[in-house]
Amino acid sequence: MSEFHDDYPQYELMAHHSEEEGKKKRRKLWNVFWIMLGVTIVELIIGFQASSWGLLNEDRTSNGILKVIFIGLTIGKAFFIVFSFMHLGDEKKVMKWSVLAPYTVFILYLVWICVEEANYAKVNKHPMDAIVVQQKIELNEAAKSGHGHEAGATHEEHGATDATHEAHGEAAKPAEGEHH
Amino acid sequence: MSSHAVSETDSTSDWNGGKSPFGVSYGKMFMWFFLVSDALTFSGLLCAYGFMRHKHPEVWPNPGDVFTHFPFYEGHIPLAYVGLMTLILIMSSVTMVLAVEAGHRNDRKKVTFWMLLTIIGGAMFVGSQAWEWYHFIVGTEHGAMRNFVNSDGVWVTETFKGANMRVNEYGLPVFANFFFFITGFHGFHVFSGVIINIVIFINVLAGTYEKRGHYEMIEKVGLYWHFVDLVWVFVFTFFYLL
Repeated sequence: MSEFHDDYPQYELMAHHSEEEGKKKRRKLWNVFWIMLGVTIVELIIGFQASSWGLLNEDRTSNGILKVIFIGLTIGKAFFIVFSFMHLGDEKKVMKWSVLAPYTVFILYLVWICVEEANYAKVNKHPMDAIVVQQKIELNEAAKSGHGHEAGATHEEHGATDATHEAHGEAAKPAEGEHH
Repeated sequence: MSSHAVSETDSTSDWNGGKSPFGVSYGKMFMWFFLVSDALTFSGLLCAYGFMRHKHPEVWPNPGDVFTHFPFYEGHIPLAYVGLMTLILIMSSVTMVLAVEAGHRNDRKKVTFWMLLTIIGGAMFVGSQAWEWYHFIVGTEHGAMRNFVNSDGVWVTETFKGANMRVNEYGLPVFANFFFFITGFHGFHVFSGVIINIVIFINVLAGTYEKRGHYEMIEKVGLYWHFVDLVWVFVFTFFYLL
């Protein structure tokens, strides 16, 4: 039993294509796959080598250039997924725009709000749990000097007693407010 | 049921009724609009993550330090397993679109083959995500000092291993909360996608779409599956890389 069509055209049947056209389409799809694989490997390599290429800030977060690179590559991958795999590139113009335009407008608005109004978070920060801050500083130092991730274990033994016990008293109550 | 040609140049007649002005069937159009709304949900979650992450930049754990394990390997390779998960999901996307293409030629054997590979890829991804969660929750061998309320209700400062919703060894509790929510919500989408794919796969085996004359259902679930891959690409970038 086919769908209720009234006098609508049967769009489902219009999508059929022949074997030769199918060969060309398949080759294009595999090309897109190789592009996606290449971009992902490039992203992973950049992420791996970011610190040795000087793309990180002092506190080991990504700096502006690295953010632009990653977001740019991601939007490139998204473009390929939406236009090639989801076949949005083959749809009519009105269909393309009715999907992309509201989404783009909303996302740009959301990003603008984050950039514009996010000062509130910086201004109204709760006091941090001292142990967490101390550990993060030690992790950053260890990573800068090239130690592995086991550095956390050695630092805990001597860092535990002195820094944390006086922080324990006043950090205890405000730290509770941090758990939200 | 007539199937008359749609004139592309005469745009006024597109909106006079008798056909879809978007040039697609009702089911496909609904799937696209649903995906836009779901994409906005994920975007809201990622913006919330970005907001929290930049509220505490000096203590936010570096995901390259946290996600370093690989199955059957005792060392630490940052983000290697996450990269493999990305590759698995992209591959399952490719097999899905090849199934769609085979459906457009009414090639039932190939549709079955590519759909099976897609389901296997999706199941591998969900399993990998569960493995990541397990290692994240159980934690490392050395743990970290934390101030927290232990299971006896006593406020202590001791070495804590692993992660839960209130305290974790990696840094802030909110990091673990966001990890569980975002990857969990996405993993739930992947899981439901796998279930839907299995249902459609059974229908292909039963010949439902042969009788119907077209494989558009494969295309519709293909849209959902590609959306799942698309979200993962963004989660991978914003959560693990940046």
